[in-house]
Amino acid sequence: MRRVVAPLLAVTVALVLADSAVVTLALPDILKHLDASVGQVAWVLIAYNLVLGLFAVPAATGFGRAQPQIISAVGIAVFAGASAWCAMAGSIDMLIAARCVQALGGALALIGCLELMVEAWGERRGVAVWVSAGLAGTAIGPVAGGLLTQAISWQAIFVVQVPFAVLAVPAALAVRGTFPLVQDRHRPAIRANLTLAILSAALTAASFLLVLLLVEGWRHSPAIAALTVSVVPVAALASRPLARLLRPSPEVEVAAGCLLIAGGLAALAIPPSAHLAWTIAPQALVGLGLGLTVDQLTSRAMDMRLPRAQHAGWTISARHLGVVIGLAILTPVFTADLQNAQAPAQEAIASLVIDAPLTAQDKIAVAQALGDELSQQQGDIPDLHPAFAKLELDAAERPAAAALERDLNTQLERAATRAFRDSFLLGAGLALIALLTVIAPRRRRTA
Amino acid sequence: MNTFVRRAGMPLAALVLVGAVLAVQIANGGGTFEPLRPADPCAERVVVSKSDGIEGVTERLVLLGVDGAACQLGVSREALTLKLGQPGTRTHREIAALRDGLRSAVGRMKEDGSLPLASELVDEALDSADLNGLLKRAIRALPDSFINKALKTDDVLLRTIDDLDLRAILANLSDQGDLNQQVEAAVTQAVKDSLKARLRGLL
Repeated sequence: MRRVVAPLLAVTVALVLADSAVVTLALPDILKHLDASVGQVAWVLIAYNLVLGLFAVPAATGFGRAQPQIISAVGIAVFAGASAWCAMAGSIDMLIAARCVQALGGALALIGCLELMVEAWGERRGVAVWVSAGLAGTAIGPVAGGLLTQAISWQAIFVVQVPFAVLAVPAALAVRGTFPLVQDRHRPAIRANLTLAILSAALTAASFLLVLLLVEGWRHSPAIAALTVSVVPVAALASRPLARLLRPSPEVEVAAGCLLIAGGLAALAIPPSAHLAWTIAPQALVGLGLGLTVDQLTSRAMDMRLPRAQHAGWTISARHLGVVIGLAILTPVFTADLQNAQAPAQEAIASLVIDAPLTAQDKIAVAQALGDELSQQQGDIPDLHPAFAKLELDAAERPAAAALERDLNTQLERAATRAFRDSFLLGAGLALIALLTVIAPRRRRTA
Repeated sequence: MNTFVRRAGMPLAALVLVGAVLAVQIANGGGTFEPLRPADPCAERVVVSKSDGIEGVTERLVLLGVDGAACQLGVSREALTLKLGQPGTRTHREIAALRDGLRSAVGRMKEDGSLPLASELVDEALDSADLNGLLKRAIRALPDSFINKALKTDDVLLRTIDDLDLRAILANLSDQGDLNQQVEAAVTQAVKDSLKARLRGLL
């Protein structure tokens, strides 16, 4: 029984935390399908993290008075129902409301599953698996979301969660044990939770901005983007052997992780071209940093602190409010930079069209077609192909026109990459601030 | 494992990895992957055209003219081109700069020898001119030396630029037919004026 129940609960924890970023790659599809604005669609992501962040601690506080099996089962059932509601949402407002309910259920499920996993596996292993499942879910979420969006649809992201959650409800109810009421004994681990929050804000740059750059800026499909960002979870897994090899102290491990995340984000800010290969090494740094920091900080924030559920609630709160803060800081910066990138991009396009090896008449035709297309695609990073597709050119002129189209697309990639630079650097700055919170000297306690 | 490795091993490994990745990115042009910067419009540039005849001359003239106007206005050639391509009223300063730019372009083309002789453009001009067939044949029968003596390309172009209502042309750039009509009328008038001036000079 324990062999089935505990893994199902771990999967539930991974699902709930994966939902934090699972829709990132689906946002462009959701935007089109539900006819939403960029600001509205960002709330699909923000709402979930905000509610989870705000509700985790109150949920854990109220949790002490109830049976964890019941709390977990109710939480998982609400999460499953809200996931189905997300898939069926016919408007963006409905989807955001469903995401809020999903987060409420998720918060209860996370707190409840922790107690049940400790009951099933014991204190040390139960907490370790709960932390690792959360880390795995966070890292794999965007990848899974992207693949499902490309293969089926954005709704599939929510549909596939339902059967897992439905199976987890009886699994939660099947756990037998005694759960004594524990009074508040320890204060929250402020430093670890603060570092966790700042790092989560920094990691938003890697999870949210990178997929936007890949899909919207460099025009890759969600599946290609998903495969590309899978470097992060793979590298996160590789961080454990590295830590075992060098055996650093927990503080040193977290500090090195912060440094790796800052370095990875700085490297993502300056790719030499729009080739996907240039994101691999920077993502590997971010993944290594993620693996060295998040589970270590979560474990430290919970280590020997009672009541366990409440301290777990603080870590959930820190992580998800950190994501919200990251989105709140980074989104306006990159939106403004994207807006500011329009003029240089248009000038670069004008320069290439003016100097193109085409006849004057063909240049005028290209300019008119581009002008029409750009005015239709206001607000987006434009797709120039329709403008070239409808041109009627002599066969002799077609190679030059094709070369011009390639050059113009490169200019758009350059403009988009430049527009994301400051946001990635800001993310790197956040990771360095997180590093400061780790290495800052502790205040000596006076007797 | 000694204390030094436990304390410094991981941070050193992180620093080496970060340094290596950043170094590789920068060495391959990281940080310079930005949109093309517009060239200085005041710097002389080689302007070539793939078009022949009148279309080629016009294209080079317009490109050099826009360069000159942009230089005078203190903006890039691309920014001025995009602005002129948008609907809206043109300031007196913009129109004056454009006219000055086009006039300077004629001078530059004359200096670098890229301005063709009038005889080289006559056939093409007659093809699209609204003249009767007999007159066209008569003009075509004239020897090139006579045409080149009677008509100087730079003089015709300068007169055309002065005659053109640039504000009206810029207000209706999308109507190719109307544009051609206006330019044709200005060129015809410029040819007439040039011939009259030449005759006046002879008399």
